[in-house]
Amino acid sequence: MKLTIQRKILLKPLQQVVGVVERRQTLPILGNVLLNATARELKLTATDLEVELQAKVKLTVSEPGDITLPARKLLDICRTLPEGADIDISVKRERATVQSGKSRFILATMPASEFPVVDKIKSPHKFSAPQNELRQVIDRTAFSMAQQDVRYYLNGLMLEPDNGVLRAVATDGHRLAICESAMDVGETTGHQVIVPRKGIQELHRLLEDDTTAITVEIGTNHIRITTKELRFTSKLIDGRFPDYNRVIPKEANKRLVIDRETLRQALTRTSILSNEKYRGIRLSLSKNNLKIQAHNPEQEEAVDEIEVDYDSEPLDIGFNVTYLLDVLATIDSDSVEFLLRDANSSTLIHQPGIDDYRYVVMPMRL
Amino acid sequence: MRRPQQKHRWIAHMDLDAFFASCEQLEHPEYRGRPVAVGALPGHRGVVAAASYEARKFGIRSAMPVSEAYRRCPDAVFLRPDMEKYRRASRQVFQILETITPVVEAASIDEAYLDVSGLDKLLGTPGEIGREIKRRIFTGTGLTASVGIGPNRLIAKLGSEYRKPDGLTVITPEQVLDFLAPMPVANLRGLGPQTQKIFGRLGIRTVEQLRTAPLSRLEEHLGKKAAASFHRQAFGFASDEVVPERRRKSISKETTFAADVRDNDVLHDALRGLAADVARTARREGLSGSVVTLKIRFEGFETHTRQYRRDTPTHDERAIFKTAWQLFLGGKLPKKPVRLIGVGISGWEEDQPAVTQADLFDQPLEKEDNQRVLQTIDAVTEKFGKGMLQLGVPRKTDS
Repeated sequence: MKLTIQRKILLKPLQQVVGVVERRQTLPILGNVLLNATARELKLTATDLEVELQAKVKLTVSEPGDITLPARKLLDICRTLPEGADIDISVKRERATVQSGKSRFILATMPASEFPVVDKIKSPHKFSAPQNELRQVIDRTAFSMAQQDVRYYLNGLMLEPDNGVLRAVATDGHRLAICESAMDVGETTGHQVIVPRKGIQELHRLLEDDTTAITVEIGTNHIRITTKELRFTSKLIDGRFPDYNRVIPKEANKRLVIDRETLRQALTRTSILSNEKYRGIRLSLSKNNLKIQAHNPEQEEAVDEIEVDYDSEPLDIGFNVTYLLDVLATIDSDSVEFLLRDANSSTLIHQPGIDDYRYVVMPMRL
Repeated sequence: MRRPQQKHRWIAHMDLDAFFASCEQLEHPEYRGRPVAVGALPGHRGVVAAASYEARKFGIRSAMPVSEAYRRCPDAVFLRPDMEKYRRASRQVFQILETITPVVEAASIDEAYLDVSGLDKLLGTPGEIGREIKRRIFTGTGLTASVGIGPNRLIAKLGSEYRKPDGLTVITPEQVLDFLAPMPVANLRGLGPQTQKIFGRLGIRTVEQLRTAPLSRLEEHLGKKAAASFHRQAFGFASDEVVPERRRKSISKETTFAADVRDNDVLHDALRGLAADVARTARREGLSGSVVTLKIRFEGFETHTRQYRRDTPTHDERAIFKTAWQLFLGGKLPKKPVRLIGVGISGWEEDQPAVTQADLFDQPLEKEDNQRVLQTIDAVTEKFGKGMLQLGVPRKTDS
């Protein structure tokens, strides 16, 4: 293999794919990046066996070939070379030479044939969508995913293409986020898949905020998203996502409407004196008034009161303040609506009049 | 026949009076002085688990069908047991007992043995020690206890039963034989209905009669071991050892397979049985834990553990099993033949903060129903041995 490439053309795709390479690998080859050079194209692939990323660069290659090189070292070399540099990469036997001007690096290689690549994904359901819409769906839900929960099927984002809607649900068991985005998802069978947390984080990093179309393929074991330059493939979590419909409260009888920013600021202030570990705060609602209280093991106390739109029976309810702040940071509108029932029941939070994205938060017993 | 004078231990047995019923009367002043029966409710099948002394005057006894209890006293207060409440009270009492001596052995939720030897300089005579135990329990909790003090466990226990409620009986070694002589043999330990029938046929009703019966005749009818045991008891000999159970940090059970196992169904069933054992022990000891640990050993002694802290402590085998099985499925464990599997719980409830985050998917089962189910399981297991009754857990569950 032999090729010459401009530093700036190699750097971006290399940075993008090397993101998935774990610092410590279970297999040595997972620390490498796969280079496939054909006459007109260079493909770069990296994987951690769960998430695979592949970038394509148009390039005239003098000697096509396939090889794997140490991913981080190649990236660091590329990054530290001067801007505008040209890079020659050539492979002879088991050694690769990376040369630019008077800088020369000899790297160890491993054969391309040993690199695990997911070629075709099994029985895919395919549709395309503007990438900013998929990005927004993730923005609005991913923060509620569980992290290393024993209920392993919660450690990811559930995606469900369903009759002209792409539905995403994330929950860690304490709070739940659901977002529905109208898009042409094709003929659907209500098939739910769970994309692991790491896959969602990588995907979010790759999606840009414009309307360029991307292709989504959902298979039995994998999900694949292809943009113009990148191909993202993630394994799916083999598990059944809990019935989210069952936990969306339907019997709320108390309604609170409140200015989002005012509430966010009051909660942020009060939370300074909440227990650092449990982050509990108490909300006391009475007619058009919300009292927020927090105290910590040092017996310090915070109290704040704000004017709200509330005309139901008084209610005292505790929450983990982080869950409320996460939701308030995600909702777009100026005001938010809370639908409540009692101190033991979950609360629904959303943008008034909009049901496209909703949040359910379980209370805390303080 | 007299035991030679020798240095002996002083063992105390403490038995809380009508414990469940007393807890209820403490919490509800309006029940005080009224007959209270804790257990099944009238109109339901089931028995009385505990009756207050006022209820006992009407002939209501524990283990009596509630229909019978209701017939005897329709005006009694009938209540479902609230085990959480009783466990809390019990823990308080045991903490008080430990202010008397560290050598406290819990015999059940409302009974304890204490070794009070050598406390004379500190607290006085056995009688004074007994009064002190009762006084501290009463001032600390409002509960009354009956205490028996004697040279060994048998005498102490018979002593606490001798005068109830709120009784105190001290039996010195010199008084042991006279104290035992008139007692019915049924008071001795390890005497079930079958043995009692045999004694009946032999015409032995009191301990004194048992004492004079020739040992060979007893052996002929009861077997050597049982005969020796009753004979020893009749003369007031019994263990004087009190083993304080140091508060355990965890409860766990494990099993090693005869041949390494590859079949998940086998592991599933094994784990389910182990979870039931762990849960039963936890309930017996009044413990609820929130940390579930899965232990697994593969061929070649490669051992892995996985832990998970639940939001709420539990002593329910279904919750313990479910968490352990999820740890097994989701724990990124190697796929190899399994040699050993085990499950444990720790992180006891009282060490937990009062703050609890409710879970969306872990809606607690209707509490009372759940307690009833678990109590039934424990009762059946106690009587018929384990494995007779198990809670249904779906096979190959992943949710």
